[in-house]
Amino acid sequence: MRCGMARKRLSDELDGALRPGRKPGVEAHLRACAACRSYRDGLARIQAGAALRDTRPPEFWAAFERDLGAKLVAAEKDRRTVLDPVPSRLRLAALAAAAAVLVGFAVWYALLRPGTAVTEAWVPYEDVLDPLVEAAEASPEIAALIDKEIRASIEEMTPVPDTDAVALDAADPLFWEGLSDDELQAVVTELENETGRGGPR
Amino acid sequence: MDERPEELLVEEARKGGREAFAELARRHERRVHGVAMRMAGNLSDADDLAQEVFLTAWKAIGSFRSGSSFYTWLYRIAVNTSLTFLKKRSREKNRAPFDENLPIGTPAHGLAPGPEATSAMNEITVRIGEAVMALPVHFRAAFALVVDQGLSHADAARVLGCSENTVSWRMHKARKLLQARLKPYLEEVRS
Repeated sequence: MRCGMARKRLSDELDGALRPGRKPGVEAHLRACAACRSYRDGLARIQAGAALRDTRPPEFWAAFERDLGAKLVAAEKDRRTVLDPVPSRLRLAALAAAAAVLVGFAVWYALLRPGTAVTEAWVPYEDVLDPLVEAAEASPEIAALIDKEIRASIEEMTPVPDTDAVALDAADPLFWEGLSDDELQAVVTELENETGRGGPR
Repeated sequence: MDERPEELLVEEARKGGREAFAELARRHERRVHGVAMRMAGNLSDADDLAQEVFLTAWKAIGSFRSGSSFYTWLYRIAVNTSLTFLKKRSREKNRAPFDENLPIGTPAHGLAPGPEATSAMNEITVRIGEAVMALPVHFRAAFALVVDQGLSHADAARVLGCSENTVSWRMHKARKLLQARLKPYLEEVRS
């Protein structure tokens, strides 16, 4: 243990704040360090000599209490102010402002909050889908029928690639300039894989 | 002598009981005066400060939370009032910075003890008092609470509004500064 830490712990010990587990380490250090033993003796002398003594006679305290009593009476008005620090008008104004904010929030929440339309639109779909799912689970034929309908609707929704448009875009030099290096490399690799020929380099 | 428990007196004082508060003041006046004395460094200012502490406490007792420790609350007012006082009087600004080489016989600014104090204190107490007065104010506040008033680091931390560890370090540094300043005198006593 270093002297600095030992002295910090000596200070804690004087204040009754040294953890019991740390005492043996401090004692071992003191056995080996004359400077810290001298420091500890100095601390003990300071501690003993620091005590403040009440040098005032009893008459002083009697006068002190009389003076204080008079000041307490005089401060009665201020004290009430402390107990009731906010004037009633201000309190009413604060309450009215808080109520206005609450009403505003309630209106916003009921009418304008985001997500309302989505929720309302979503509910009927659930109502329609649930009986269909139940029917499909009950009958394999109905399930096959529904499956067919779903596949057909997916095909209908899938956009058909416009090969002419892609070819047209690729012919435009600006199309290639607008691509990043990674995108360009990805296109090149794809072209090489598909055609066995390289794209523009 | 009023024998009522402190909690009851505090509750009555909170409701406006001036007599109950006066009794609380009687019970704590010496301790509060001790803190004020250590912080201000002279009896005259300590007298005024102690009065001001109780007056502030009386005005604010409505905000005191029952269940907390009254003396911790009172000490907090005492320390804060003392710090405000010291700031107002620019004592800290005008006071010479801590100098461990300052001759021991030179009293710190504003610390010359009155005749009553000189006669009552022995020499080492006077020297230590001067050295404590030369400490930075936050170290002095910790010293006043822990050494003079016997508060634990935990209670002193509550009063000062800092951590226990901070109190521990302030005490250590305060003692180091005191040792440095009092070293020649302590060696003389030892020899």
